[in-house]
Amino acid sequence: MSRFDLREVCVRRDGHLIIDRVTATIAPGRCTALVGPSGAGKTTLLRLFNRLDDPSTGTVLLDGAPLETLDVLALRRRVGLVGQRPVLVTASVREELRVGAPQLTDGEALGLLKRVGLPEEFHERPTEGLSGGEGQRVCLARTLAVGPEVLLLDEPTSALDPEAAAAVEDTLCGLMGGGLTAILVSHSAAQVQRMADDALVLRKGQLVENGPVAEVRYVNGGG
Amino acid sequence: MSSPAVPEWTGVALSVSLVGLAVLIAWRQRLGLAREIVIAGVRAGIQLFLVGAVLLFLFKHAGLPGGFAWLAVMVVIAGQVAGRRGKGLRHSRYVATAAVAIAAAVTMGVLMAFGVIQTTPRVVVPVGGMVVSGSMAATGVTLSRMMAEARGQRAAIEARLSLGLSAAAAFAPHRRELLRTALIPTLDSTKVVGLISLPGAMTGLILAGVSPEVAIRYQIVVMYMLLAAAVMAALAAAELGQRMLFTPAQQLR
Ligand SMILES: Nc1ncnc2c1ncn2[C@@H]1O[C@H](COP(=O)(O)OP(=O)(O)OP(=O)(O)O)[C@@H](O)[C@H]1O
Ligand SMILES: [Mg+2]
Repeated sequence: MSRFDLREVCVRRDGHLIIDRVTATIAPGRCTALVGPSGAGKTTLLRLFNRLDDPSTGTVLLDGAPLETLDVLALRRRVGLVGQRPVLVTASVREELRVGAPQLTDGEALGLLKRVGLPEEFHERPTEGLSGGEGQRVCLARTLAVGPEVLLLDEPTSALDPEAAAAVEDTLCGLMGGGLTAILVSHSAAQVQRMADDALVLRKGQLVENGPVAEVRYVNGGG
Repeated sequence: MSSPAVPEWTGVALSVSLVGLAVLIAWRQRLGLAREIVIAGVRAGIQLFLVGAVLLFLFKHAGLPGGFAWLAVMVVIAGQVAGRRGKGLRHSRYVATAAVAIAAAVTMGVLMAFGVIQTTPRVVVPVGGMVVSGSMAATGVTLSRMMAEARGQRAAIEARLSLGLSAAAAFAPHRRELLRTALIPTLDSTKVVGLISLPGAMTGLILAGVSPEVAIRYQIVVMYMLLAAAVMAALAAAELGQRMLFTPAQQLR
Protein backbone atom coordinates (compact mmCIF):
# COMPACT_ATOMS: atom_id res chain seq x y z
CA MET A 1 0.00 0.00 0.00
CA SER A 2 3.03 2.33 0.13
CA ARG A 3 3.08 3.69 3.63
CA PHE A 4 6.32 5.37 4.62
CA ASP A 5 7.61 5.57 8.16
CA LEU A 6 10.52 7.78 9.15
CA ARG A 7 12.20 6.70 12.38
CA GLU A 8 14.62 9.08 14.06
CA VAL A 9 16.01 10.07 10.68
CA CYS A 10 19.11 12.28 10.68
CA VAL A 11 21.13 13.54 7.73
CA ARG A 12 24.54 15.02 8.40
CA ARG A 13 26.54 16.87 5.74
CA ASP A 14 29.99 18.33 6.36
CA GLY A 15 29.36 18.20 10.10
CA HIS A 16 26.00 20.00 9.88
CA LEU A 17 22.81 18.27 10.92
CA ILE A 18 20.49 19.01 7.99
CA ILE A 19 17.74 16.61 9.04
CA ASP A 20 17.45 16.38 12.79
CA ARG A 21 15.74 13.27 14.21
CA VAL A 22 12.59 13.28 12.11
CA THR A 23 9.97 10.68 13.02
CA ALA A 24 6.73 10.67 11.01
CA THR A 25 4.35 8.58 8.96
CA ILE A 26 3.27 9.26 5.39
CA ALA A 27 -0.18 7.81 4.86
CA PRO A 28 -0.81 5.75 1.73
CA GLY A 29 -3.21 6.97 -0.95
CA ARG A 30 -2.95 10.57 0.24
CA CYS A 31 -1.00 13.64 -0.72
CA THR A 32 1.37 14.78 2.00
CA ALA A 33 2.91 18.23 1.69
CA LEU A 34 6.44 18.88 2.91
CA VAL A 35 6.69 22.56 3.75
CA GLY A 36 8.99 24.94 5.57
CA PRO A 37 11.29 27.88 4.91
CA SER A 38 14.08 27.72 2.36
CA GLY A 39 16.97 25.59 3.59
CA ALA A 40 14.78 23.69 6.04
CA GLY A 41 15.80 20.36 4.53
CA LYS A 42 12.77 19.50 2.37
CA THR A 43 14.71 18.41 -0.70
CA THR A 44 17.17 16.51 1.47
CA LEU A 45 14.32 14.61 3.12
CA LEU A 46 12.52 13.92 -0.16
CA ARG A 47 15.61 12.32 -1.70
CA LEU A 48 15.60 9.69 1.05
CA PHE A 49 12.31 8.19 -0.11
CA ASN A 50 13.70 6.77 -3.36
CA ARG A 51 17.21 6.38 -1.97
CA LEU A 52 18.95 8.99 -4.04
CA ASP A 53 20.52 9.50 -0.61
CA ASP A 54 20.53 7.51 2.61
CA PRO A 55 20.03 8.90 6.11
CA SER A 56 23.17 9.20 8.23
CA THR A 57 21.30 7.54 11.08
CA GLY A 58 17.74 6.35 11.53
CA THR A 59 15.55 4.37 9.19
CA VAL A 60 13.02 4.94 6.44
CA LEU A 61 10.50 2.10 6.09
CA LEU A 62 8.18 1.31 3.23
CA ASP A 63 5.25 -0.83 4.36
CA GLY A 64 7.28 -1.83 7.39
CA ALA A 65 10.43 -2.82 5.48
CA PRO A 66 13.60 -0.74 5.88
CA LEU A 67 14.42 0.72 2.44
CA GLU A 68 17.92 -0.74 2.42
CA THR A 69 16.45 -4.24 2.56
CA LEU A 70 14.58 -3.63 -0.71
CA ASP A 71 16.07 -3.88 -4.17
CA VAL A 72 16.96 -0.25 -4.88
CA LEU A 73 16.12 -0.34 -8.60
CA ALA A 74 12.72 -1.88 -7.90
CA LEU A 75 12.17 0.70 -5.15
CA ARG A 76 12.87 3.56 -7.56
CA ARG A 77 10.41 2.15 -10.06
CA ARG A 78 7.84 2.02 -7.31
CA VAL A 79 8.63 5.50 -5.99
CA GLY A 80 8.94 8.02 -8.83
CA LEU A 81 10.55 11.45 -8.48
CA VAL A 82 9.79 14.63 -10.39
CA GLY A 83 12.23 17.43 -9.74
CA GLN A 84 11.92 21.17 -9.54
CA ARG A 85 13.10 21.79 -13.09
CA PRO A 86 12.39 19.61 -16.09
CA VAL A 87 15.60 17.70 -16.85
CA LEU A 88 15.16 16.01 -20.22
CA VAL A 89 17.84 13.46 -20.96
CA THR A 90 17.15 12.45 -24.56
CA ALA A 91 16.56 14.19 -27.89
CA SER A 92 12.88 13.42 -28.41
CA VAL A 93 9.69 13.04 -26.40
CA ARG A 94 9.32 9.53 -27.87
CA GLU A 95 12.68 8.46 -26.38
CA GLU A 96 12.13 10.42 -23.20
CA LEU A 97 8.99 8.48 -22.34
CA ARG A 98 10.92 5.23 -22.82
CA VAL A 99 13.99 5.95 -20.67
CA GLY A 100 12.55 4.00 -17.75
CA ALA A 101 10.09 1.94 -19.82
CA PRO A 102 11.78 0.68 -22.99
CA GLN A 103 8.83 -1.59 -23.84
CA LEU A 104 6.28 1.22 -23.89
CA THR A 105 3.97 0.92 -26.91
CA ASP A 106 2.91 3.94 -28.95
CA GLY A 107 -0.63 3.50 -27.69
CA GLU A 108 0.53 3.60 -24.06
CA ALA A 109 2.74 6.60 -24.79
CA LEU A 110 -0.18 8.54 -26.25
CA GLY A 111 -2.27 7.58 -23.23
CA LEU A 112 0.38 9.00 -20.93
CA LEU A 113 0.58 12.26 -22.86
CA LYS A 114 -3.17 12.57 -22.52
CA ARG A 115 -2.95 11.90 -18.79
CA VAL A 116 -0.50 14.79 -18.34
CA GLY A 117 -2.53 17.07 -20.57
CA LEU A 118 -0.36 17.17 -23.67
CA PRO A 119 -1.73 16.71 -27.20
CA GLU A 120 -0.77 13.57 -29.11
CA GLU A 121 1.48 15.44 -31.56
CA PHE A 122 3.99 15.87 -28.76
CA HIS A 123 4.98 12.25 -29.12
CA GLU A 124 6.98 13.15 -32.23
CA ARG A 125 8.43 16.41 -30.90
CA PRO A 126 12.12 16.95 -30.13
CA THR A 127 12.74 17.72 -26.46
CA GLU A 128 14.63 20.84 -27.43
CA GLY A 129 12.27 23.76 -27.65
CA LEU A 130 9.67 22.47 -25.22
CA SER A 131 8.45 25.17 -22.86
CA GLY A 132 9.08 24.75 -19.13
CA GLY A 133 5.53 23.62 -18.48
CA GLU A 134 5.55 21.17 -21.39
CA GLY A 135 8.92 19.83 -20.30
CA GLN A 136 7.69 19.35 -16.76
CA ARG A 137 4.67 17.43 -18.02
CA VAL A 138 6.91 15.24 -20.21
CA CYS A 139 8.99 14.52 -17.09
CA LEU A 140 5.84 13.58 -15.25
CA ALA A 141 4.70 11.32 -18.09
CA ARG A 142 8.16 9.73 -18.22
CA THR A 143 7.88 8.94 -14.50
CA LEU A 144 4.33 7.63 -14.86
CA ALA A 145 5.46 5.37 -17.71
CA VAL A 146 7.35 3.29 -15.16
CA GLY A 147 4.12 2.75 -13.21
CA PRO A 148 4.98 4.13 -9.75
CA GLU A 149 2.77 3.79 -6.68
CA VAL A 150 4.27 6.87 -5.07
CA LEU A 151 5.17 10.22 -6.60
CA LEU A 152 7.79 12.45 -5.02
CA LEU A 153 7.28 16.01 -6.24
CA ASP A 154 9.95 18.62 -5.46
CA GLU A 155 8.35 22.00 -6.13
CA PRO A 156 7.01 20.70 -9.43
CA THR A 157 5.59 24.06 -10.50
CA SER A 158 8.02 26.56 -8.99
CA ALA A 159 10.06 27.00 -12.19
CA LEU A 160 6.94 27.62 -14.28
CA ASP A 161 4.93 30.72 -15.11
CA PRO A 162 1.49 30.87 -13.43
CA GLU A 163 -0.38 29.52 -16.45
CA ALA A 164 1.91 26.51 -16.94
CA ALA A 165 1.97 25.98 -13.18
CA ALA A 166 -1.81 25.83 -13.09
CA ALA A 167 -1.86 23.30 -15.93
CA VAL A 168 0.71 21.04 -14.25
CA GLU A 169 -1.13 21.34 -10.96
CA ASP A 170 -4.40 20.31 -12.61
CA THR A 171 -2.64 17.30 -14.08
CA LEU A 172 -1.27 16.36 -10.67
CA CYS A 173 -4.63 16.78 -8.94
CA GLY A 174 -6.12 14.44 -11.53
CA LEU A 175 -3.47 11.85 -10.74
CA MET A 176 -4.02 12.14 -6.98
CA GLY A 177 -7.64 11.20 -7.56
CA GLY A 178 -6.40 7.93 -9.03
CA GLY A 179 -5.16 6.54 -5.71
CA LEU A 180 -1.53 7.51 -6.06
CA THR A 181 0.42 8.33 -2.91
CA ALA A 182 2.22 11.66 -3.22
CA ILE A 183 4.78 13.63 -1.26
CA LEU A 184 4.78 17.22 -2.41
CA VAL A 185 7.38 19.83 -1.56
CA SER A 186 5.86 23.24 -2.04
CA HIS A 187 6.47 26.86 -1.12
CA SER A 188 2.96 27.90 -1.87
CA ALA A 189 0.41 27.64 0.94
CA ALA A 190 -2.36 27.98 -1.64
CA GLN A 191 -1.01 25.06 -3.64
CA VAL A 192 -0.72 22.95 -0.51
CA GLN A 193 -4.31 23.75 0.42
CA ARG A 194 -5.49 22.83 -3.07
CA MET A 195 -3.51 19.63 -3.43
CA ALA A 196 -2.47 18.11 -0.12
CA ASP A 197 -4.34 16.18 2.54
CA ASP A 198 -1.63 16.24 5.21
CA ALA A 199 1.34 18.47 5.88
CA LEU A 200 4.73 18.06 7.57
CA VAL A 201 6.46 21.28 8.53
CA LEU A 202 10.24 21.31 8.70
CA ARG A 203 12.32 24.04 10.25
CA LYS A 204 16.10 23.83 10.41
CA GLY A 205 15.86 20.12 9.79
CA GLN A 206 13.40 19.48 12.59
CA LEU A 207 9.80 18.39 12.25
CA VAL A 208 7.84 21.16 13.95
CA GLU A 209 4.26 20.45 12.84
CA ASN A 210 2.48 17.44 11.44
CA GLY A 211 -1.20 16.81 10.67
CA PRO A 212 -4.09 17.35 8.28
CA VAL A 213 -3.57 20.47 6.16
CA ALA A 214 -6.55 22.27 7.70
CA GLU A 215 -4.98 21.99 11.15
CA VAL A 216 -1.41 22.94 10.31
CA ARG A 217 -0.78 26.55 11.29
CA TYR A 218 2.23 27.07 8.99
CA VAL A 219 0.00 26.49 5.95
CA ASN A 220 -2.89 28.54 7.29
CA GLY A 221 -0.97 31.74 7.91
CA GLY A 222 -0.06 30.96 11.53
CA GLY A 223 3.69 30.68 10.67
CA MET B 1 76.47 1.31 -33.21
CA SER B 2 79.30 3.83 -33.11
CA SER B 3 77.52 6.11 -35.50
CA PRO B 4 79.08 9.53 -36.01
CA ALA B 5 75.57 11.05 -35.73
CA VAL B 6 75.55 10.46 -31.97
CA PRO B 7 76.97 13.45 -30.09
CA GLU B 8 80.16 13.04 -28.03
CA TRP B 9 80.26 14.41 -24.46
CA THR B 10 82.07 17.46 -25.84
CA GLY B 11 79.08 17.97 -28.12
CA VAL B 12 76.77 17.75 -25.14
CA ALA B 13 78.84 20.39 -23.37
CA LEU B 14 78.66 22.62 -26.42
CA SER B 15 74.84 22.26 -26.56
CA VAL B 16 74.82 23.93 -23.16
CA SER B 17 75.85 27.07 -25.01
CA LEU B 18 72.36 27.02 -26.62
CA VAL B 19 70.83 27.26 -23.18
CA GLY B 20 73.29 30.05 -22.41
CA LEU B 21 72.08 31.89 -25.49
CA ALA B 22 68.43 31.46 -24.45
CA VAL B 23 69.24 32.78 -20.98
CA LEU B 24 71.12 35.74 -22.44
CA ILE B 25 68.18 36.67 -24.67
CA ALA B 26 65.69 36.25 -21.84
CA TRP B 27 67.82 38.44 -19.61
CA ARG B 28 68.37 41.18 -22.21
CA GLN B 29 64.65 41.27 -23.01
CA ARG B 30 63.78 41.37 -19.30
CA LEU B 31 61.39 38.44 -19.71
CA GLY B 32 61.89 37.42 -16.12
CA LEU B 33 62.49 33.90 -17.39
CA ALA B 34 66.27 33.59 -17.18
CA ARG B 35 66.18 31.99 -13.75
CA GLU B 36 63.51 29.50 -14.78
CA ILE B 37 65.34 28.54 -17.95
CA VAL B 38 68.49 27.83 -15.95
CA ILE B 39 66.55 25.77 -13.42
CA ALA B 40 64.67 23.82 -16.11
CA GLY B 41 67.89 23.19 -18.03
CA VAL B 42 69.84 22.04 -14.98
CA ARG B 43 66.94 19.93 -13.79
CA ALA B 44 66.46 18.17 -17.13
CA GLY B 45 70.20 17.54 -17.35
CA ILE B 46 70.36 16.02 -13.88
CA GLN B 47 67.22 13.90 -14.43
CA LEU B 48 68.51 12.49 -17.71
CA PHE B 49 71.95 11.93 -16.23
CA LEU B 50 70.48 9.96 -13.34
CA VAL B 51 68.14 8.01 -15.59
CA GLY B 52 71.08 7.17 -17.83
CA ALA B 53 72.98 5.90 -14.81
CA VAL B 54 69.99 3.84 -13.65
CA LEU B 55 69.52 2.36 -17.10
CA LEU B 56 73.20 1.57 -17.38
CA PHE B 57 73.01 -0.24 -14.07
CA LEU B 58 69.80 -2.06 -15.04
CA PHE B 59 71.10 -3.21 -18.38
CA LYS B 60 74.39 -4.39 -16.95
CA HIS B 61 73.50 -5.88 -13.60
CA ALA B 62 69.80 -6.09 -12.74
CA GLY B 63 68.62 -8.14 -15.70
CA LEU B 64 65.00 -8.64 -16.63
CA PRO B 65 63.57 -8.60 -13.07
CA GLY B 66 65.27 -5.22 -12.59
CA GLY B 67 63.71 -4.01 -15.84
CA PHE B 68 60.24 -5.02 -14.72
CA ALA B 69 60.79 -3.50 -11.30
CA TRP B 70 61.70 -0.20 -12.96
CA LEU B 71 58.55 -0.51 -15.10
CA ALA B 72 56.47 -1.03 -11.95
CA VAL B 73 57.96 2.13 -10.45
CA MET B 74 56.98 4.03 -13.60
CA VAL B 75 53.42 2.68 -13.37
CA VAL B 76 53.12 3.87 -9.77
CA ILE B 77 54.46 7.33 -10.59
CA ALA B 78 52.15 7.59 -13.61
CA GLY B 79 49.22 6.52 -11.44
CA GLN B 80 49.93 9.31 -8.97
CA VAL B 81 50.15 11.91 -11.72
CA ALA B 82 47.05 10.77 -13.62
CA GLY B 83 45.12 10.22 -10.38
CA ARG B 84 45.49 13.88 -9.54
CA ARG B 85 43.36 14.66 -12.62
CA GLY B 86 40.44 12.87 -11.03
CA LYS B 87 40.17 15.31 -8.17
CA GLY B 88 37.12 14.52 -6.06
CA LEU B 89 36.91 10.90 -7.17
CA ARG B 90 37.31 8.43 -4.34
CA HIS B 91 40.57 6.49 -4.52
CA SER B 92 41.39 8.24 -7.77
CA ARG B 93 45.08 7.38 -7.48
CA TYR B 94 44.39 3.68 -7.08
CA VAL B 95 42.00 3.81 -10.00
CA ALA B 96 44.59 5.57 -12.16
CA THR B 97 47.40 3.26 -11.11
CA ALA B 98 45.27 0.21 -11.86
CA ALA B 99 44.23 1.58 -15.26
CA VAL B 100 47.83 2.32 -16.27
CA ALA B 101 48.96 -1.05 -14.94
CA ILE B 102 46.28 -2.95 -16.86
CA ALA B 103 47.00 -1.12 -20.11
CA ALA B 104 50.76 -1.56 -19.73
CA ALA B 105 50.53 -5.22 -18.73
CA VAL B 106 48.24 -6.17 -21.61
CA THR B 107 50.13 -4.18 -24.25
CA MET B 108 53.59 -5.28 -23.14
CA GLY B 109 52.33 -8.82 -22.58
CA VAL B 110 51.06 -9.11 -26.15
CA LEU B 111 54.20 -7.56 -27.64
CA MET B 112 56.44 -9.91 -25.69
CA ALA B 113 54.27 -13.01 -26.06
CA PHE B 114 54.33 -12.68 -29.85
CA GLY B 115 58.00 -11.83 -29.85
CA VAL B 116 57.37 -8.45 -31.46
CA ILE B 117 59.86 -6.92 -29.06
CA GLN B 118 62.80 -8.52 -27.36
CA THR B 119 62.32 -9.52 -23.76
CA THR B 120 65.46 -7.77 -22.51
CA PRO B 121 65.74 -4.80 -20.18
CA ARG B 122 67.32 -2.75 -22.99
CA VAL B 123 64.00 -3.01 -24.88
CA VAL B 124 61.42 -3.52 -22.13
CA VAL B 125 62.36 -0.39 -20.18
CA PRO B 126 62.16 2.25 -22.92
CA VAL B 127 59.22 0.66 -24.75
CA GLY B 128 57.42 0.21 -21.43
CA GLY B 129 58.14 3.85 -20.67
CA MET B 130 56.34 4.92 -23.82
CA VAL B 131 53.38 2.67 -23.07
CA VAL B 132 53.14 3.93 -19.49
CA SER B 133 53.34 7.57 -20.50
CA GLY B 134 50.68 7.13 -23.21
CA SER B 135 48.43 5.29 -20.76
CA MET B 136 48.99 7.97 -18.17
CA ALA B 137 47.84 10.71 -20.52
CA ALA B 138 44.68 8.82 -21.53
CA THR B 139 43.90 7.93 -17.92
CA GLY B 140 44.33 11.52 -16.76
CA VAL B 141 41.99 12.92 -19.39
CA THR B 142 39.44 10.17 -18.76
CA LEU B 143 39.32 10.84 -15.03
CA SER B 144 39.16 14.60 -15.38
CA ARG B 145 36.35 14.35 -17.96
CA MET B 146 34.59 11.86 -15.73
CA MET B 147 34.53 14.26 -12.80
CA ALA B 148 33.40 17.09 -15.05
CA GLU B 149 30.49 14.95 -16.33
CA ALA B 150 29.56 13.73 -12.86
CA ARG B 151 29.46 17.30 -11.55
CA GLY B 152 27.93 19.04 -14.55
CA GLN B 153 25.40 16.35 -15.44
CA ARG B 154 24.34 15.42 -11.96
CA ALA B 155 20.70 16.30 -12.60
CA ALA B 156 20.51 14.15 -15.75
CA ILE B 157 22.23 11.20 -14.07
CA GLU B 158 19.93 11.37 -11.06
CA ALA B 159 16.90 11.72 -13.34
CA ARG B 160 17.83 8.40 -14.97
CA LEU B 161 18.54 6.77 -11.61
CA SER B 162 15.13 7.94 -10.40
CA LEU B 163 13.54 6.12 -13.32
CA GLY B 164 15.01 2.87 -12.02
CA LEU B 165 18.09 2.69 -14.24
CA SER B 166 21.21 1.09 -12.80
CA ALA B 167 24.22 3.30 -12.16
CA ALA B 168 25.95 1.86 -15.21
CA ALA B 169 22.94 2.52 -17.43
CA ALA B 170 22.39 5.99 -16.00
CA PHE B 171 26.02 6.91 -16.68
CA ALA B 172 26.33 5.18 -20.06
CA PRO B 173 25.68 8.22 -22.30
CA HIS B 174 28.19 10.27 -20.30
CA ARG B 175 30.72 7.48 -20.37
CA ARG B 176 30.47 7.29 -24.15
CA GLU B 177 30.95 11.04 -24.38
CA LEU B 178 33.92 11.21 -22.04
CA LEU B 179 35.70 8.27 -23.67
CA ARG B 180 35.36 9.93 -27.06
CA THR B 181 36.83 13.13 -25.67
CA ALA B 182 39.62 11.30 -23.89
CA LEU B 183 40.70 9.41 -26.99
CA ILE B 184 40.47 12.20 -29.56
CA PRO B 185 44.05 13.47 -29.04
CA THR B 186 45.47 9.96 -29.44
CA LEU B 187 43.36 9.27 -32.52
CA ASP B 188 44.27 12.59 -34.10
CA SER B 189 47.96 12.14 -33.54
CA THR B 190 47.72 8.61 -34.95
CA LYS B 191 46.03 9.97 -38.07
CA VAL B 192 48.70 12.52 -38.89
CA VAL B 193 51.72 10.53 -37.79
CA GLY B 194 54.60 11.03 -40.21
CA LEU B 195 52.79 13.88 -41.95
CA ILE B 196 53.04 16.54 -39.29
CA SER B 197 55.28 15.06 -36.65
CA LEU B 198 58.04 12.56 -36.88
CA PRO B 199 57.48 10.74 -33.66
CA GLY B 200 60.13 10.35 -31.00
CA ALA B 201 61.08 6.74 -31.53
CA MET B 202 61.57 7.22 -35.25
CA THR B 203 63.42 10.49 -34.84
CA GLY B 204 65.71 8.85 -32.33
CA LEU B 205 66.46 5.87 -34.53
CA ILE B 206 67.10 7.99 -37.63
CA LEU B 207 69.35 10.34 -35.65
CA ALA B 208 71.27 7.34 -34.37
CA GLY B 209 71.93 6.27 -37.94
CA VAL B 210 69.36 3.51 -38.44
CA SER B 211 67.84 3.32 -41.91
CA PRO B 212 64.39 4.91 -42.27
CA GLU B 213 62.94 1.57 -43.37
CA VAL B 214 63.86 0.01 -40.04
CA ALA B 215 62.86 3.12 -38.15
CA ILE B 216 59.43 3.03 -39.75
CA ARG B 217 58.84 -0.58 -38.80
CA TYR B 218 59.65 0.29 -35.25
CA GLN B 219 57.45 3.35 -35.37
CA ILE B 220 54.47 1.41 -36.67
CA VAL B 221 54.73 -1.00 -33.78
CA VAL B 222 55.08 1.89 -31.35
CA MET B 223 52.10 3.73 -32.80
CA TYR B 224 49.79 0.72 -32.69
CA MET B 225 50.97 -0.12 -29.22
CA LEU B 226 50.35 3.42 -27.99
CA LEU B 227 46.91 3.43 -29.57
CA ALA B 228 46.00 0.14 -27.92
CA ALA B 229 47.43 1.25 -24.58
CA ALA B 230 45.53 4.55 -24.64
CA VAL B 231 42.24 2.87 -25.49
CA MET B 232 42.70 0.21 -22.82
CA ALA B 233 43.79 2.72 -20.19
CA ALA B 234 40.81 4.97 -20.92
CA LEU B 235 38.37 2.05 -20.81
CA ALA B 236 39.86 0.69 -17.60
CA ALA B 237 39.86 4.13 -15.97
CA ALA B 238 36.24 4.71 -17.00
CA GLU B 239 35.17 1.30 -15.75
CA LEU B 240 36.97 1.50 -12.40
CA GLY B 241 36.29 5.21 -11.93
CA GLN B 242 32.59 4.74 -12.52
CA ARG B 243 32.47 2.27 -9.65
CA MET B 244 33.91 4.92 -7.35
CA LEU B 245 31.40 7.48 -8.60
CA PHE B 246 28.42 5.49 -7.34
CA THR B 247 27.63 3.73 -4.08
CA PRO B 248 26.65 0.05 -4.04
CA ALA B 249 23.06 1.32 -3.68
CA GLN B 250 23.36 3.03 -7.10
CA GLN B 251 23.60 6.52 -5.66
CA LEU B 252 25.75 9.20 -7.26
CA ARG B 253 28.27 10.24 -4.61
N1 LIG C 1 26.38 18.77 0.77
C1 LIG C 1 25.98 19.69 1.65
N2 LIG C 1 26.86 20.20 2.51
C2 LIG C 1 26.49 21.13 3.42
N3 LIG C 1 25.27 21.61 3.51
C3 LIG C 1 24.33 21.15 2.67
C4 LIG C 1 24.64 20.17 1.69
N4 LIG C 1 23.51 19.90 1.01
C5 LIG C 1 22.55 20.68 1.54
N5 LIG C 1 23.03 21.44 2.52
C6 LIG C 1 22.30 22.40 3.35
O1 LIG C 1 21.20 21.74 3.93
C7 LIG C 1 20.12 22.61 4.10
C8 LIG C 1 18.87 21.97 3.57
O2 LIG C 1 18.93 21.90 2.18
P1 LIG C 1 17.65 21.52 1.30
O3 LIG C 1 18.05 21.63 -0.12
O4 LIG C 1 17.14 20.21 1.75
O5 LIG C 1 16.64 22.66 1.69
P2 LIG C 1 15.17 22.93 1.14
O6 LIG C 1 14.28 22.91 2.32
O7 LIG C 1 14.87 22.02 0.02
O8 LIG C 1 15.33 24.42 0.63
P3 LIG C 1 14.62 25.13 -0.61
O9 LIG C 1 13.25 25.42 -0.18
O10 LIG C 1 15.41 26.39 -0.79
O11 LIG C 1 14.70 24.20 -1.78
C9 LIG C 1 20.51 23.90 3.40
O12 LIG C 1 20.89 24.82 4.39
C10 LIG C 1 21.69 23.50 2.55
O13 LIG C 1 22.58 24.59 2.40
MG1 LIG D 1 14.59 22.27 -2.10
